[in-house]
Amino acid sequence: MAAFVQLVILGLLAGGVYVAVGVGFGLVWGVLNIVNLAHGALVIVGGYITWQLFTAFGLDPFLTLPVDAVALFVLGYALQRGVINRIIRAPLLFTFLLTFGLNLVIVNILLLIFGSDFRSVTPTYSGQGFEIGGIVVPYVRLTSLGAAILLSAGLAFLLSRTRIGLAIHAIAADRDAAQLVGIDLRHAYAVTYGLGAACAGVAGGLIAMIQAITPTAGEPYTLQAFVVVILGGLGRVSATVVGGLAFGLVEAFGQSIPGSGSVFANAIAFGLMVLVLVTRPQGLMGRLR
Amino acid sequence: MRRWALLAAVAIAAIACGGSTTGGPTTGSTIVLGAPLGLTGSLTKESILTQQGYNLWQDWINARGGIVVNNVKHPVTIKYYDDTSNANQSAVLMQKLITEDKANFLLGPYGSAATATDAAIAEQNEIPMVEANGAAQSIFNQGYKYTFGVLSPANKYLQGVIDMAATLSPKPTTIAMLSADDNFSLEVAEGVNTYAATKGLNVVLYKKYKNGATNLSAEVQAAKAANADIVLNSGHLQEAIAINKAAKEQKVNAKIFAYSVGPSTPDFITALGKDADYVYGGSQWTPQVKYTPAFYLSVAEYVAAYKAKYPGLGDPDYHVAESTAACLALQRAIEKAGSLDPKKVRDALAALDVTVFFGQVKFDSRGINIYKPMVVEQIQNGAHHTVFPDSVADAKPQYPTPAWDQR
Amino acid sequence: MIATADSQRRWRRLFLIVGAIVAAYALLAPLTSLDAAQSANVPLLADKFWFRIATYVVMFVVMATAWNIIGGITGYAAFGNVAFFGIGAYTTGMLIAKAKWPFLVALPLAPILAALFAALVGLPLLRLRGHYFAVASLGVGVAVGELVQNIDYNGQPVFGGASGLFLPIYAVGHRGLFFFYLMCGAAAIAIAVTWWVLRSRFGYGLIAIRENEEAAAVLGVNTTAYKVGAFALAAALTGLAGGIFSQWNVFINQDNAFPIEYNVQMILMALLGGTGTVFGPAAGAVLLQLLIQFLGGSLPISIDLPFVSTEARPIVAQVILGLLLVVVVIFVPRGVIDFFGGRTRLSLSYLRRSLRDTSL
Repeated sequence: MAAFVQLVILGLLAGGVYVAVGVGFGLVWGVLNIVNLAHGALVIVGGYITWQLFTAFGLDPFLTLPVDAVALFVLGYALQRGVINRIIRAPLLFTFLLTFGLNLVIVNILLLIFGSDFRSVTPTYSGQGFEIGGIVVPYVRLTSLGAAILLSAGLAFLLSRTRIGLAIHAIAADRDAAQLVGIDLRHAYAVTYGLGAACAGVAGGLIAMIQAITPTAGEPYTLQAFVVVILGGLGRVSATVVGGLAFGLVEAFGQSIPGSGSVFANAIAFGLMVLVLVTRPQGLMGRLR
Repeated sequence: MRRWALLAAVAIAAIACGGSTTGGPTTGSTIVLGAPLGLTGSLTKESILTQQGYNLWQDWINARGGIVVNNVKHPVTIKYYDDTSNANQSAVLMQKLITEDKANFLLGPYGSAATATDAAIAEQNEIPMVEANGAAQSIFNQGYKYTFGVLSPANKYLQGVIDMAATLSPKPTTIAMLSADDNFSLEVAEGVNTYAATKGLNVVLYKKYKNGATNLSAEVQAAKAANADIVLNSGHLQEAIAINKAAKEQKVNAKIFAYSVGPSTPDFITALGKDADYVYGGSQWTPQVKYTPAFYLSVAEYVAAYKAKYPGLGDPDYHVAESTAACLALQRAIEKAGSLDPKKVRDALAALDVTVFFGQVKFDSRGINIYKPMVVEQIQNGAHHTVFPDSVADAKPQYPTPAWDQR
Repeated sequence: MIATADSQRRWRRLFLIVGAIVAAYALLAPLTSLDAAQSANVPLLADKFWFRIATYVVMFVVMATAWNIIGGITGYAAFGNVAFFGIGAYTTGMLIAKAKWPFLVALPLAPILAALFAALVGLPLLRLRGHYFAVASLGVGVAVGELVQNIDYNGQPVFGGASGLFLPIYAVGHRGLFFFYLMCGAAAIAIAVTWWVLRSRFGYGLIAIRENEEAAAVLGVNTTAYKVGAFALAAALTGLAGGIFSQWNVFINQDNAFPIEYNVQMILMALLGGTGTVFGPAAGAVLLQLLIQFLGGSLPISIDLPFVSTEARPIVAQVILGLLLVVVVIFVPRGVIDFFGGRTRLSLSYLRRSLRDTSL
């Protein structure tokens, strides 16, 4: 029983990272209809910023998260405004290709700057945690989960309570109608992508604490983001939170299958995703639109 | 910086050439060697270590004027191409090296998948390939005649740790074996599973996980539940770091933590800080080993040459050393063959038996070096120390590993 | 400015001539490696490297052309076609390595199995639209590779496991030439099938589905059967390429038979060349693959990058590749065949118009 509870806790804690990675990806996909293959690369940019600030100035990694968010927002805004906006009316697959190209550029620029060494942020409290009745809860993972939930809540608040949030909702519902009512589409698109990138940056900061990063370390996260977003259901922040936590649980229980269970981690996750898509395309949580 | 490296190389060359210049060999054609490496993509880190090892030897041999064949000195160039860490591209580039660049001989790429693909290319073109970074035995069980691996095969990677464990007291008895699902790692794990019982150890948990996994919490929890004395991992640097982080988080207090790949690289220590202490690693080579080389540098000279050429990176790890050893095997085989003919050099490789700073280099009938022992190293106070076997050790194992909250 | 009909015709003719010359060269050059040609002192135009790289390029011609049937003509953005490549490779590989079948007997089963699998997963998957279909097909692609690598029976891997499958090196004279022409044969079949599809009732149905699926259904097109048919056809051709690949490459494992990046590459090629056309994906495959090889420094002609150290060169090459992709996608959204193919010609106004058409 304790083992089971521990597994659930581990799964939920691991899910925090997936939530953080997923919300940005889901926002860009749901609102802009862009499948952002550069998302994982943006995540790792955030990771390197946190690592750099921690290494150079000894800044606590959690305090660097706002820096990640702001830096990535600027980068994301510029990318959308300068590049991606130019193919918004092209067929769907072009965004795949464009973001694939951007991914290649970002990953290799990181490789030029930081080299291929494995980097990790290890604050003094890294790996420590508390224990209740034999159940271990590591601080960093707990705080990461908290940060991911806060991030999602902040994003949800922004989307529902602010002017720009309403504009984003409007373009998600009907782009051309939104333009007719006077929304500056180029700006609104760029802000949306910037927000997605900001979330990616925060996720990267968390990931730099939990694992070692290299310039190519973001690629698995792009794949996982697909699953997370589909599991929860596209178009709502809260659904992505559920999707991320569900993904963490699926992973943990997949790993706990005796013998060779977790070698099928991707097969199980993607199999589940296909199943959800085919039987419940609106996701576990339903869809806003 | 460059100038110092050059000076060092010249100095080394002067030492090496001292007294052997009688007869005054003439300079002949340049020998072209080639290797596709993952200079971009997911295998960049290890590929660059491989390249460093090749380059160290290239500098040295050219400072001496080249490989001497029948009293003629042949300078050496090594051509590299970036295979973007993609095995299929590696095959394309191998063929380019052979056909377009007229490579006389081939050096191996990084990784078992690319090595397997390239071995087939070498075989079809009948050009010897000496490789140092594909330890999976499946490559060598195909009856290929032109592929030689200077490194100990995968199944030996963690056997040294088991040998060591059997000598410790209180003697550990149970093993939890975690393994990535790539061919190299699985062969490492199978090696442990079959060998442990012969040393009176019992594998109580064997779990495979996805190669490249970054979250291994549940695996580590299973190891904790199994309450094993020894936690072994066979995977790569990324997974070794993930396991060590998870072990601390979940307060897994095993007596021995030992990982196949990872602990030997400086990144393992920089990424984990003090948490890297006490971790054991199976290693092909360490800067502390004591072999008496028949030619090339001594172990200490090798470490010095590395630090002179690549300052700021610390000691060379075994990926670097084994890559240099591949070049040495090729050099000696060319010298013995007295010819640049690929078939003659192949035969010389098959008959090679020489000890260099890396250890004994000798190939079995399949072409892999089963004669060199693996060593065990342990990270103690942020530094690598060789702890087993005793004949090469520079420190005693710090055993048992203290509990996480007592460090 | 709209190009006149006259200049259109001129561009179209130029394009066709260039394409024909390239194809003729590619098909005839290998003949110079035959013993008869060599003893007659014909200069050698195709060495082993030429065969390696040309076979590799043509392999992508097959995959991109096959993808075009489902992705371009039918409009279903398949993102997991590499699964069919891998299934083809493993079908042939297993039959040769384990059942000891001769290669040419094992090869026909590769497309058949790939098509059957596509029909099976296509039935549920093709109910999905747009991004959902893309993502679901990607999931299938990832999952199949993982299953093939890890499925055990009685503790023994069924499909060679992580060690992969080693095939015996195919004993045939002029091995390079043999596999090159074999792959060209597969490419010819793929292009011929596309040509036929575009002129058949089946193809009109697929185009109707792409333009408006509901309307197509109303018009009496059995959309499910048509979509699954197109998917299976694409899978068969991709599987054929995989089957040839396994024997040509001798070694297959999850890494080289199910590389996720091929999913992106084949789509990229089809889009570069122009989707929905007969020759576009083939042209795109040749162009992109040669570009990748050129930047990687593996072609006889290469460039020196100024101000870039040797260590950084391969990395900078990847950055350039990424930037080129971005530029091409932005400025040539209808594929290069569009402006070479005669409808328009490459000019500043063309580029400006493309930008205006697609940007916000």
